[in-house]
Amino acid sequence: MPPVIDPDKCNLCGVCDEHCPLDVIYMENEGVDVRYPLECWHCGACRQDCPTGAVDIEFPLIMLGV
Amino acid sequence: MGEDHQIETDVAIIGGGTAGLNSAMAAAEKGLKVLVAEKANIERSGAIAGGIDHFHAYLETGEDWDTREAYLGWVSKISKGASSLKVQEAVYCDEYKAAIERVERIGIALRNPKTGDFYRTLALGMPGPYAINFNGKKLKPKMAEEVRRLGCKVLGRLQVTRLLLHDGEIAGFTGFDMRTGDFYQVRAKAVVIATGNTNRMFKPQTGNPFNLWYCPADTGDLHRAAYEAGVELANMEYIRMTIVPKGFSAPGFNAFLGMGSHLINSLEERYLEHHHPMGEAAPRNFVVWATYNELKEGRGPIYMDCRHLSQKDREHLFETLGYDKDTLPDFFVKKGYNLEGTMIEMTVSEPMQARPSEVCGSGIKIDEKCASNVPGLYAAGDSSDQMGCLHMCVAGGYAAGKQAAEFALKTKNFRPVDSAETATEKDRIFRPLGKKTGISSWEFEDIVRIITTDHFGPVKTEISLKSALDKLNKLDDAHGDLKADNLHELMRVHEAMNIQQVAKITATAAMARKETRFPPYHYRADFPETDDDQYCGLIVIKKGPEGDITTRFEPLTYEI
Repeated sequence: MPPVIDPDKCNLCGVCDEHCPLDVIYMENEGVDVRYPLECWHCGACRQDCPTGAVDIEFPLIMLGV
Repeated sequence: MGEDHQIETDVAIIGGGTAGLNSAMAAAEKGLKVLVAEKANIERSGAIAGGIDHFHAYLETGEDWDTREAYLGWVSKISKGASSLKVQEAVYCDEYKAAIERVERIGIALRNPKTGDFYRTLALGMPGPYAINFNGKKLKPKMAEEVRRLGCKVLGRLQVTRLLLHDGEIAGFTGFDMRTGDFYQVRAKAVVIATGNTNRMFKPQTGNPFNLWYCPADTGDLHRAAYEAGVELANMEYIRMTIVPKGFSAPGFNAFLGMGSHLINSLEERYLEHHHPMGEAAPRNFVVWATYNELKEGRGPIYMDCRHLSQKDREHLFETLGYDKDTLPDFFVKKGYNLEGTMIEMTVSEPMQARPSEVCGSGIKIDEKCASNVPGLYAAGDSSDQMGCLHMCVAGGYAAGKQAAEFALKTKNFRPVDSAETATEKDRIFRPLGKKTGISSWEFEDIVRIITTDHFGPVKTEISLKSALDKLNKLDDAHGDLKADNLHELMRVHEAMNIQQVAKITATAAMARKETRFPPYHYRADFPETDDDQYCGLIVIKKGPEGDITTRFEPLTYEI
């Protein structure tokens, strides 16, 4: 489900949490928690603003399959 | 629950999207103390959070379509009965040159940096290519940077819940922080509402109410709050739709048509030619209406045919689509579409409560000074009844900020707020958090969406609207059963109630307009013709003295 964070690339800066317009992403001490993936608008703000390229967008099957 | 905060500011802007940030810039440039209250964050929020690819403008190049008069002619044609030309001239025509300069000054190129030329395309009933194509992926963060540079205070993750009035004039508002649970009481000399339209109101194509054309965070929060405070609303009867890729309700269809793609049905006919004299260049509502009927009559699926486009045009198109919706090119790749010989399956999007044209809005009724009927309260962007699209939100947002600043400068003292009213609102806000059992926001919203879609999404009659209102009114009884397990869910609970209340306003306004206008945005099966003699104007809606919804009609004229 979108977005997917690569923990090896993530530098824990928290910008994806700060910039998500839907309150989907929560920055925790141990890493990024994509807490409400169903509420993602696929705007791509997290991916565009991630300084380390750790964010990938995955589309759920229903969007690709219909 | 968290801490209580009391804040005072000269001008408060509710909503930090395009219109709100331009309002903030204007007020801050007058030297005033400005607060932006935003439900998300100002860097990435609102309709253009992830990017935008076009800005509509006439540029006075000497072409006969490129003038103020021709532009106003387009406005008259595509929004007759919804837009006031007097307001259009004040909030757009008098402001657009400064708006273009401002966008470029803060670091977003509207023209090709190599040639200095604008790349302009034609769509949506325009008499000439008014749509400037540009890379607006960084426009929102650049505007946010400018607002911060000007010293505005920004409160993010703040959901505004109630407007506070004193003697019929604006005094401030209340809200809560969705991460800390802090409660805020803000007092301001002038307030600008810029909170977009109302989404998540109708059933979406894949079932997920966040897979939408427009920003799913825009849930009519301030339409509802303004209505409760006695503010007049207009253009609320309209249900807006567009053409989107099958599976992904993303914008971009005007970019396809602007580049010369064709809409075809499964008989490979360019069906728009059978429905409107302008064919694929028709105003958006007619393209949607034709497609809606093609699908209903069994000639679907429909496709965006890009097979005939030149390699250069296809490359430009796919680049532009990514400016408008960052993840759309990824979606096309994952779906298996490529740049060569592509027919992309499209469909009619979910309906939403929003403006019926590119050049007006749907919400707080404003005059040429962007003022509502409540002194000190202004509106801008899609949440006003007169502004829509990027071009008007940049230009008109700034106009609203200037007017609010002038009002604040003339106001000596902050108006008092009633502490009992604030305490009651605080109790109402946090009540769902205390409940162990009850109804979730998701379930409640689903019920609203089933009612709206069955009864007026988008086709409607007197009986269907009455039935919808009956069901929507009965849902009020469930408010006390709504529960939230955390602050995020608390925000969603309030959004769900706001969507329901706006749905009632929409159904009531639709009942008062006994004609059809901009089909399918307002299609009455019992009054299928447009009636300019009786209905060329606004249905103005307001809370009556008994708490009931009242409507009145205000005519509009179109002589340029």
